[in-house]
Amino acid sequence: MKARIAQLFAILLLLTVAAAAQDLASFEKRITVKKLPNGLTVIICRRPEAPVFSFYTHVDAGSAQDPLGKTGLAHMFEHMAFKGTDKIGTKNYPAEKVALEKVEKAYAAYIYARDKEIHPDPQHVQQLENAWKAAVKAADQYVIPNQFTEIVERNGGQDLNASTDEDETNYFYSLPENRLELWAYLESERFLHPVMRQFYDERNVVIEERRMRVDSNPIGRLLEQFTTAAFQASQYHRPTVGWTSDLNTFSATDAQKFFDEYYVPSNMVVTLVGDVTPERALPIVEKYFSRIPSHAKPDERITEEPPQNSERRVVLYEPSQPLYLEGYHRPDYRSPDDAVYDAIADLMSNGRTSRLYRALVRDKKIASDSAGFTGLPGNKYPHLFAFYAFPLPGHTTQEMADAIHEEIEKLKTQDISDAELKMIKTRSKAALIRSLGSNDGLATELGIYQARYGDWRELFRQVDRINKITKADIRRVANQTFVANNRTVGIIETAKPGASQSSEGSSSENQPPGNSPPAAHAAASQGGAQ
Amino acid sequence: MKMKPQPLSKIALLTALLSFTCAAFGQAKTGAAAQAAPAKQQAKEWEKIPTPPLHPFHPAQPRRIELPNGMIIFLQEDHELPLIDGVARIRGGSRSVPAAKTGLMDIYGEVWRTGGTKTQTGDQLDDYLEVRAAKVETDAGGDSTSISLSCLKADFNDVFRVFADLLRNPEFRADKIDIARKGLYDAISRRNDEPSEIASRVSAQLAYGKNNPYARIPEYASVAAVTRQDLVDWHNSHVYPNNIIIGIVGDFDSATMEAKLRETFGSWEKGPSVATPQIDFDPAKPGIYLVKKTDVNQSLIRMVELGTRRDNPDYYAIQVFNEAFGGGFSSRLFKNIRSAKGLAYSVGGGVGTAFDHPGMERFAMGTKSASTAQSIEALYQQIDDLKTDPITPEEIKLAKDSILNSFVFNYDSPEKVLRERMAYEFYGYPSDFLERFRSGIEKVTAADVARIIPKYIHKDQLKVLVVGNPADFDKPLSTFGTVTDVDITIPPPAGATQEQGEKPQASDAAGEALAAKAVDAMGGESRLQSIKSLQTNFDLTQNTPQGDVQMKMQATLLYPDHLYISGGGEMGSFTVVATPDEGFMTAPGMGVRNLPASQKADTLQQIKRDLIYLGQHLHDPAFSFKSEGNEKIQNADAAVLSVNGPGVSLRWYVDPQSGRVLRESYEAAGPQGPAQAQTDFQDWKTAGGLTLPYKRTSSRDGKVVSTSQYTSIQVNPSISPKLFDKPVVEAQSK
Repeated sequence: MKARIAQLFAILLLLTVAAAAQDLASFEKRITVKKLPNGLTVIICRRPEAPVFSFYTHVDAGSAQDPLGKTGLAHMFEHMAFKGTDKIGTKNYPAEKVALEKVEKAYAAYIYARDKEIHPDPQHVQQLENAWKAAVKAADQYVIPNQFTEIVERNGGQDLNASTDEDETNYFYSLPENRLELWAYLESERFLHPVMRQFYDERNVVIEERRMRVDSNPIGRLLEQFTTAAFQASQYHRPTVGWTSDLNTFSATDAQKFFDEYYVPSNMVVTLVGDVTPERALPIVEKYFSRIPSHAKPDERITEEPPQNSERRVVLYEPSQPLYLEGYHRPDYRSPDDAVYDAIADLMSNGRTSRLYRALVRDKKIASDSAGFTGLPGNKYPHLFAFYAFPLPGHTTQEMADAIHEEIEKLKTQDISDAELKMIKTRSKAALIRSLGSNDGLATELGIYQARYGDWRELFRQVDRINKITKADIRRVANQTFVANNRTVGIIETAKPGASQSSEGSSSENQPPGNSPPAAHAAASQGGAQ
Repeated sequence: MKMKPQPLSKIALLTALLSFTCAAFGQAKTGAAAQAAPAKQQAKEWEKIPTPPLHPFHPAQPRRIELPNGMIIFLQEDHELPLIDGVARIRGGSRSVPAAKTGLMDIYGEVWRTGGTKTQTGDQLDDYLEVRAAKVETDAGGDSTSISLSCLKADFNDVFRVFADLLRNPEFRADKIDIARKGLYDAISRRNDEPSEIASRVSAQLAYGKNNPYARIPEYASVAAVTRQDLVDWHNSHVYPNNIIIGIVGDFDSATMEAKLRETFGSWEKGPSVATPQIDFDPAKPGIYLVKKTDVNQSLIRMVELGTRRDNPDYYAIQVFNEAFGGGFSSRLFKNIRSAKGLAYSVGGGVGTAFDHPGMERFAMGTKSASTAQSIEALYQQIDDLKTDPITPEEIKLAKDSILNSFVFNYDSPEKVLRERMAYEFYGYPSDFLERFRSGIEKVTAADVARIIPKYIHKDQLKVLVVGNPADFDKPLSTFGTVTDVDITIPPPAGATQEQGEKPQASDAAGEALAAKAVDAMGGESRLQSIKSLQTNFDLTQNTPQGDVQMKMQATLLYPDHLYISGGGEMGSFTVVATPDEGFMTAPGMGVRNLPASQKADTLQQIKRDLIYLGQHLHDPAFSFKSEGNEKIQNADAAVLSVNGPGVSLRWYVDPQSGRVLRESYEAAGPQGPAQAQTDFQDWKTAGGLTLPYKRTSSRDGKVVSTSQYTSIQVNPSISPKLFDKPVVEAQSK
């Protein structure tokens, strides 16, 4: 342990050209990590710049954990975590509880009749749907709407939100420091006694979110089709927001089950950063969060994506301007080459010295923007390193592909320059320093590193890994990864005006699928290499 | 103050689409919610949790320095991390630019940095800065421009030198103007791709007026009109110390920093101060506006009108109203439209405010196509309810508590404090405006809120915009009144078929010499410029799939933009006329038909390619002639000349011996998309001091499509002024 810390300090000293080394080194002194007996990890980082604090609750479950046939459930639960508890948001919980149980029974009967009967009787289905809606209405009378968020806002809560991706679910906001105990109460209650009230109205909200981000957005449509094509076995092939049919089917009972399985202390890290001391905060956190019962960490294994053996292509013909995207499979974040991928992303994409900017935007003048990035659609499991380019008017997606491949070829066959390598290393140090200057940013970073690596110090060791990268590493990893068989291509081409779009979009609840707008895409094809 | 604008931001766009969040934005609560409250009698669990007094906090105020030349400097020390950030904000922005040059400031904001300094190119600056992980960036906004820096403390001197050099000595190099211009063309071409971009653009035009400086947008033509001289002129007329406010925050010693800034900028002479432009607002008529978008299943609804300014005494009551009605998770709109009805993910709004001009009042939501009308009704209902179900004292208290308890977040970092102070200085607000804001909010009563609602919220004045697919709406929008269709078709660039949005490139010496030679070979510049009109007779052979068609033709050309063509063959005689005002044709059995706009443009385009017309513009700065090497044509080693001017872009292949133009080539619109068009010029004859080709062979994509053999060319013929008039009899077309 001591050796590791010494090593860490050595790294930290490297970062700091002149003074202020003590500021970075001081993180070791400023941070307290405590694992509660129930398995919950708590990080407290003192940053007394102003009388406020931010927190970040990391739950190690995302849409990759959505059960079969229930895509979108992890995200749905995230929305429900704002709906209150058995004490918050209810006028009479015992009565509400009974009413909510009735809702679930009525809903199950309706869904069975709708989806499972051999010869469904439309009238009967309608009756059951009406009965379910009546039960929802009956339960709604006990609701004090939005009381949970109201308490947070009334007390000065700032940047209240949560997010879900393939890998994890995150909850966060900031408060004045004198609300620490209130926060501990609210955040622990939220994960002790969540109540699935107003579930089916919130489900409609989520479907609207899908329409906004995916169905009605050409790039959203492309990304969904692209990711679906790139992953066939891995759970990454499913959209985080969920398919519309699943969204129109899963129940509050399903959401509660998901919660019971994944929202367990051993699967969660809570990070506090700001005007807080462990002396004052730890007893409060222990008092409230220790109430959450312990539970074994859930199995989060997903299906391993087999090696890809031919290029795949998705082409959407859209009433919008063209876009070229391609992705290559790479190993997960624990790979010894993780930092090499980061270095390649930086070299190819960061700023006006980046290779793609210089080649496509500055010199060839064929694109308005081009870059490469890693972590699509997540990075906890094997994922994609992707490149994209937006062609300038008059230029084609094929020119984008050719120009990107030319740059990739250079990576594979020529060493990057000393100046480039130095730039990458300097920038990684500076980026780390810049990430330390805000409570919410720091809480997020510390929390994710603690959750992923079991040690927040990995945040600082990233720089060390980048520092060890050699020119040969970059060539090796580029040759390993950027090969045609390992590639999925996603393209938007501009549909000819007036051309009818073949829309095989996902169904929207009020229309037969064939009639819906081109919700997903106009044409998709997969197949052999070019 | 944007400390570090990132030039490449689309990664964020892509990845943001992959992460799903709980809230977009939201607002206040209703009667139903108000009923819920009375149930509580004894304090709830969370109400028993003590709230100790907040730790005492006195945020550091930046030091304000005024140089004798009028420059204002704010220095804010922050020793937490070894970083220094700074920004200079300069008065004057896009709202002062003439409408015909909209886009000028976008180009300026980019090329100020990418174009480099007098001594270093932008590319050299990129290399110099990136190896230090440092940034110096420039930007332009509506009322100001800015240049910022961000670096590790140890690199400050290196980076500040670049910052100061760019501030005083930018070069605006042409190659970077070209990149910026192309980037703007790209943004124009993509501006109708995403519904949210359409909604925010069009709603601003409805609230402020289509041509208002806060709402207007760059077009191909206005971007093409921007010249390098415009950028230089802008810089030279605005960037003076008396128009600049600088703020620096980070790990430095103020005294040392002050000395450095004084040394760098102290001797800079004052310049003319920047006047605030007089801006008129011309909101659209109230009513329903529709942008049809067929590739969506969600409608975006925006209800807008003009808002107000922050120095309005009503500002505090408005802020409380906004919070209660449409501001957060607990607001009425969020509770009633999102949580209770599930009609929207994104819903919210309020009376917008700005420092020195009216903000935009805006109520917004997105809902599935099939609940579009229902949602408009629901939003209307929320507005109506403000009368029958006024904002309650409980709602006011919640809104005020939310604002006041989160007040500390307005100044929880030295950088935020600096940013606020700079804004107040820029707009002439009192330096303690933030403190006044707090006490202003504290004093707001339910009566204040009740008073401002009818003053600012006028349901019958709202311009209601819907971006969506009307085929799937639950009810036609005409239910709500007269519907105005908003046409968002992007006006194509001038001479779009040829130009592809390219800006004429610069002439080069070889190109100019060659063009002059070609002009001499035709009869010399002064002879060409004496030509006002031209009448030609020629035999046209048109190659069609059905075989060759022969016609006798006459063309009358009145420079620069009137063309009359008549001809006849086996199928009868016809005429085609194109002028800036009219375009029509007559043909046997057809009467008079208007030419479609594209065909009219194509016809007029013929004049712009005319040898004489181009020769007349040999010394017109809007035209350029650039040498592009040699190519074998008609057994001659022809010199290739790229010719560009307003609405025209083509290549001449010139015989370097004789100076004759052997061929022109250009990109033309064809039925299957762009085609490579060329005309070979042969059979040169001299008449009346002019030497011109009498045989012209036209090809498309390498296939001959027509041949013209001229029989006469007459210079400055007498032309009946009625020649170009449309026949009065609208013949019996069916």
